Amino acid sequence: MMDDFLSKISIIISSEKIDKLLEASILASTSSTMNWDAELFFTFWGLLALKKGFEAKKVSSDYSEYEDLLQKNMKSGSIPGWKELLIKAKESGNVKIFACSTTLGMFGIDKENLEEFVDDVVGAATFLSRAKESDINLFIS
Amino acid sequence: MKDNQSIMEVDSKFKSCPGPIIDLSEAVKNAEKGQIIRLIATDPAAPSDVKEWTSQVGHKVLKISEEKGVYSIDIEVG
Repeated sequence: MMDDFLSKISIIISSEKIDKLLEASILASTSSTMNWDAELFFTFWGLLALKKGFEAKKVSSDYSEYEDLLQKNMKSGSIPGWKELLIKAKESGNVKIFACSTTLGMFGIDKENLEEFVDDVVGAATFLSRAKESDINLFIS
Repeated sequence: MKDNQSIMEVDSKFKSCPGPIIDLSEAVKNAEKGQIIRLIATDPAAPSDVKEWTSQVGHKVLKISEEKGVYSIDIEVG
């Protein structure tokens, strides 16, 4: 392994739709196989996806006609589940998942009601200072 | 490659990206340096993804072949 080649990707996720969650988790899980650090910051509607027991079913509303197609591909195993991807990626130890404190308050969600794989609840300043160190910064909404 | 070395085969057929890369990275975790791993995949991105991935993490692509949409990609663990 080339330990001298460390990179980092930061992704803001502001949607709870399955296509958006997949886009983020595919990148995070692939980056973890390359020994990169990945930090995911879930905010606004994206935070809803971190609630315990949440199941993403809907695709983005503009593309609802493709919902069945995506579900079919996920059922066949061709496309993996977003949560499974993230949980597996976290085993590498270089993926961190953050929940946005402001939207947590807005939705009235307790920290305890967030999925176990969430590392911490943080604010914008924390995200920005961590994202500043990243080689790649993405916003998925 | 040594004559008597066995090839570890990883079957990722019908898995879309990032399935093949995740399967390959799992296989590498359980392999020693110098081990040859053969990835079998149908994802059309597999050849280019494996090339990029190996160059990022320090392994070597030995051979890529394709037959009827099924790719066979040999890598050597670095």
